Amino acid sequence: MATISAPLPGIQVSEEGKLRIGDYLKWSVDHKIIGVQYAVTALFFFIIGGALAMAIRWELLTPALDVAADGTAYNQFFTMHGTVMIFLWIIPMMAGFGNYLVPLMLGAKDMAFPWLNAFAFWLIPPAGVLMILGYFAGQAQAGWTAYPPLSTMFSDGDGQTMWAIAIHLLGASSILGALNFIVTIRNMRPEGMGYFQMPLFVWAMLATSIIIVMATPFLAGGLTLLILDRVAGTAFFNPAQGGDVLLWQNVFWFYSHPAVYIMVLPGFGMLSEVLSVHARKNVFGYRAIALSSMAIALVGFTVWAHHMFTSLTPSLRIPFMVTSMIIAVPTGIKIFSWIGTIWGGKIRFNSAMLFGLGFLSMFVIGGISGVMLAAVPFDLHVHDTYFVVSHFHFVLYGGSVLAIYAGIYHWWPKVTGTLLNESMGKWHFWLTYVSFFFTFFPMHLLGMLGMPRRVAVYAPEFQTLNSIVSFASFVLGISTFILLYNMVYSLIKRKQAGPNPWRALTLEWATSSPPPAHNFHGDPVPYKNPYGYGTEAAYRYLEAQEAELGKSWPNLEEEPARALKPSSSPAGD
Amino acid sequence: MTQQISPMPERKLTRDEVIALKNKRTLVTVFQISWIMVFVCLAVVAIQIRGTSGPLPALNAIQVIVPLGATLALLGSVWTAWQSLKAIQADQRARFFVFWRYTLVLGGAFILVMLAVMAFNPYGDLLQYSQIFRVMVVYHALHALVIGAWMVQVYRNAAQGAYGSSDAWGVEAGAKLWYFVVIAWVLFYAVLYVF
Repeated sequence: MATISAPLPGIQVSEEGKLRIGDYLKWSVDHKIIGVQYAVTALFFFIIGGALAMAIRWELLTPALDVAADGTAYNQFFTMHGTVMIFLWIIPMMAGFGNYLVPLMLGAKDMAFPWLNAFAFWLIPPAGVLMILGYFAGQAQAGWTAYPPLSTMFSDGDGQTMWAIAIHLLGASSILGALNFIVTIRNMRPEGMGYFQMPLFVWAMLATSIIIVMATPFLAGGLTLLILDRVAGTAFFNPAQGGDVLLWQNVFWFYSHPAVYIMVLPGFGMLSEVLSVHARKNVFGYRAIALSSMAIALVGFTVWAHHMFTSLTPSLRIPFMVTSMIIAVPTGIKIFSWIGTIWGGKIRFNSAMLFGLGFLSMFVIGGISGVMLAAVPFDLHVHDTYFVVSHFHFVLYGGSVLAIYAGIYHWWPKVTGTLLNESMGKWHFWLTYVSFFFTFFPMHLLGMLGMPRRVAVYAPEFQTLNSIVSFASFVLGISTFILLYNMVYSLIKRKQAGPNPWRALTLEWATSSPPPAHNFHGDPVPYKNPYGYGTEAAYRYLEAQEAELGKSWPNLEEEPARALKPSSSPAGD
Repeated sequence: MTQQISPMPERKLTRDEVIALKNKRTLVTVFQISWIMVFVCLAVVAIQIRGTSGPLPALNAIQVIVPLGATLALLGSVWTAWQSLKAIQADQRARFFVFWRYTLVLGGAFILVMLAVMAFNPYGDLLQYSQIFRVMVVYHALHALVIGAWMVQVYRNAAQGAYGSSDAWGVEAGAKLWYFVVIAWVLFYAVLYVF
């Protein structure tokens, strides 16, 4: 039987310290401001990366060279698209969610090192600017993987060097942020919250941070050597002088395969929160989900060479094939746990939940194609084709980006105190979901038919599928603006959300929306099971919370979800 | 004499201060575990390059003894740094100054010797291996210099009366970061001279 304690002893809700836009444009050590700074910066770069994607797809509408001046210009498009989307959109966006939510979910006043937190964020804008300024110095053109000799002997101009320095800065930012998360999660949990009472998003951020602190320095070492090759005349990766190009590939993928989990694990965490809250059900297999995140972090370090099956010593192919397949096991555990979580739940099909379900369905496709690529015989045939492009977009867009959307719809009321428009949210979801599928699924077919990736000109027989992909991608690009419009609309209309509009049990909802400067008045008392929905104890905890903090949905008679499905007993909460 | 300046009065730490100290300790530990991976990366690259460079030239006695001596000096500095930390935690300031000075001298000697070894690179005929040898020594020396500068600052702070049994964090951080320098070098030494 859960203890029913007042979640916030002696709370005095006040309107003091309301933030203005200017507060988000300057140095601040408040984790909530930093979280928003991360998110807004990431969204800005998302638009840039998206515009580059549109340019790529416009180029590929026809088999001929139409948009890019030449092959080099096209190389620059996809190099910057990949780099921006990975290093300046998904990774910082996940860091933004982590920054905003982890201290709140732990009932802490801030991160362990607020100054370090701000410093980590402020490395990102100059790094992004440095990378983009490469356009004026001969833009990077060796792909986001920067394989030598493309990135050394065949990349004229300083853009590729600026790219490498920018990645160095972004890596430093990432490491500093991750150090902070690990310390915060280890040392700043409230009394009564052991590791296995932490919200699953916090578990996901812990696993992500462990990967970052172990893998990113490895890339830093490799990047240092790459920069020396470009500016100091060394020849580590220069085959003409006896250097080894495969050396870079090993170093790069030792970081960059775990980086896939850096991008997707926080999304897993968000999904666990969203599905449980909006299905009003306890998470199925809490420990399995938490520990599978750690398993992914561990096994993620043993699979890097599957990116090099075609150049790998044959005797090493089987071991890496096996480890690459093993990593599907903890991921599969999560998928089944999430299905178990929503099974039989009182599901609210709101925008957050729809994007959560969208993630679940699309990520499974990316996972299955990942297992296909882990099989050496298959990989050898589709290596460097559009099948690979399709696979990683199902993981990173179908996984990470849809999770980010789910997270935005779920936590926007907490961050701003206002509600996003649900009709627009549903339009956003359906347009995104359908156009996403038709953008990326046909790429599987193109790859299996033999269309290589990273080409601006292709054989005419691929045009029909490419046209479908391009038109769908334009819809996908436009659909993003529905979300941006919805955000602005919400901030103007200011439809009040109240402290806990979803009646969630995790601690970030046990405070006003947006939270006050120091997050909580007094020490918040965590509910013993952060996902213990459907019990009378949870109902009473939430009622006690509402009595202290005030009603959610204050402008409405009743929460729409409740009005739609009236519950006969309070135990349905 | 610097040692005669009276230390900060001893006091009990508040709960927030205890958490802050715990946070700092965790941060330094996790940072060390993380940043050693850069050194691991360079060590792996060196091993790989050695594998493709062909046999390395045999080192003469001086080329073996000098780095060995520098490494022993560095290992000795671990003991002196540890003694310094114990001394300050017991409010034995005079003892702290003695051992901290030994640490600085041993560390400084190590850096100078290894920069000299790098200048007289014994692998000049092997392009990539010679380059990675230089990169590793210089990269390590940069860390030793930055952390050494921190340790000099700790010495100066202590001379101004800072640190004591209830506030030894500056010394503890300096010592722990110096241990990191030593561990990183032991890794490099093993790759460059032993295996």
